[in-house]
Amino acid sequence: MRKALLLVATVLLYALPSLAAGTPYLIHVLVLCCVYAIPAVGLNLMLGYAGLVSLGHMAFAGIGAYAAAVLMVDAKLGFWAALALGVAAAGASGAAIGAVCLRFRSHFFMIVTLAFGLMLYSVMNNWDDVTRGAQGFPGIPRPAPLGSLSFGPLQNFYYLALTAALAAFAVQWRVVRSDYGRTLMALRQDERLAAARGVNAMLYKTSVFALGSAIAGLGGILHVSFLRVAAPATFNLAESINAVLIVVVGGAGSLAGPALGALVFVGLPEYLRVANEWRLVVFGALLVLLVLFAPRGLAGLIPSGKK
Amino acid sequence: MPAAVLEQTINGLMSGSVYVLVALGMVLIYGVMHVLNFAHGVLFMLGGYVCHFFFTRVTGSYALSVLLSMGVLALVGIALERGVFRPLHGNLRNQVIASLGLILVIENLVVAVWGPNALQMKVPATEQLVPLGALRFPLQHLLVILVTFAVVAALFLFLKFSKPGTAIRAASQDRLAAMVVGIPVERIDWTTFALGTALAALGGALIGPLFLVFPLMGDAPMVKGLAGILLGGMGSVPGAVIGGLLIGVVESLSTLVLPTDYRDSVAFVVMVLILLARPQGIFGVRVRGED
Repeated sequence: MRKALLLVATVLLYALPSLAAGTPYLIHVLVLCCVYAIPAVGLNLMLGYAGLVSLGHMAFAGIGAYAAAVLMVDAKLGFWAALALGVAAAGASGAAIGAVCLRFRSHFFMIVTLAFGLMLYSVMNNWDDVTRGAQGFPGIPRPAPLGSLSFGPLQNFYYLALTAALAAFAVQWRVVRSDYGRTLMALRQDERLAAARGVNAMLYKTSVFALGSAIAGLGGILHVSFLRVAAPATFNLAESINAVLIVVVGGAGSLAGPALGALVFVGLPEYLRVANEWRLVVFGALLVLLVLFAPRGLAGLIPSGKK
Repeated sequence: MPAAVLEQTINGLMSGSVYVLVALGMVLIYGVMHVLNFAHGVLFMLGGYVCHFFFTRVTGSYALSVLLSMGVLALVGIALERGVFRPLHGNLRNQVIASLGLILVIENLVVAVWGPNALQMKVPATEQLVPLGALRFPLQHLLVILVTFAVVAALFLFLKFSKPGTAIRAASQDRLAAMVVGIPVERIDWTTFALGTALAALGGALIGPLFLVFPLMGDAPMVKGLAGILLGGMGSVPGAVIGGLLIGVVESLSTLVLPTDYRDSVAFVVMVLILLARPQGIFGVRVRGED
């Protein structure tokens, strides 16, 4: 039943541009949903499953995006190689910085991740020679064509973003249903007990930090490739907080959570056509209400098949 | 002392004082309720706006506006404690997430009401210059430092000798034991919250005339205040004072040797390095967040 539903939804999402021909605005919004959902998947693995509340998550998306941008524009590397290297750079910096952050726990961990997020933002904003500074990094190419499929047209970029998002969700599903994922959940529930059972907590937590950061990097690269420009503001503290909110509103620790969260965060205000500050007021209030009355997020409100 | 060093030291003490006011509020609230309120920065900002409102619309007296702003923010603090943080008692993660939601709500409500542009507050003390050695500083700079020191001294006396102050210390040392000896901890909770948000409002109201009142004015003081708290030792009130001042002076002096663009990062580099070497901070009570 659930599998059939998932299949229908996937087919519908792919068929949408043909069904709703002549609505570039809708496709545009859906692309944005995808590029917001991808980093949220990475954060969901860290926050929802391993219990690591990182307040600097989008900075790692920024590392991926800027690394890919420099490789493509300055080193004249092709898009797909730059994508792979950018994701690797985000993952590697996630491992390195995560190893430092994870020496701290609970509140301390949050503050240290926040501090690293701000430091990375400051580098993106000020290292003019490499990142082009506060003005943003212009001229980022759209993905190189695959065979005869060019990603210049909006509709084709949508297919790419959707595929990337589905891939991220597939990775999340694989991880959560594996021994590795179960170990992460055990660490979240009782780290001492898990450690006593022989789990190397530091190794597991660092690896999920790296994995989450790499997935964030993928989202960041697609985001800047879609906008054709990388701006530091896409990866600042406010965006990192938004990523936490997307995960929590959607339902931290649920497979569909990031998709629901991104849909609500990007899609709802576009639908309601409200001014930006009111959208964030509504979103913030929704978040507080959810935390107070439905701590499992929107995904938790949907009755599950098995009880 | 060369003039540049003196200038940056005074600047550092001034911004450090503001960090201290933010840090004190957060550390008191953390001590008593174990809540890390990330919305403290936007409450600081709201304090600046409320002070601006009273100063320009209601009364021409700056001192009175500052006090009124503290009073209003104390009420906001009580409302938040009652409505949001008390129901989430004991759930660290959800309290933090709720405070992130409050950032969005408060910050964007302020933008909706007052607009996104910075507002000016023309207070006479910003125009008046005071000679100090070879340099002259605006009186407001020194006022920020002096008021903060006075408030810190008063707070120490309050916590040390008064009955409610002793009760706050008792509740933060051991909540259960405090209940057993008959301390009304729930009343202590909202009192502490009101005190903390009033201190944040004081910070916003003091800095407003110098650096304008704008929606993001609380972000830097909040994160620097957090860095100060961690540096001083989480849960330690003297630690928050020393840590906040240290961050202010170090980042200000760093501009003498480093590009000013990286001024904000200096505080965090210092914080992370010190914490790695000495995880409990200078006056540490808790180690690396383990409770």
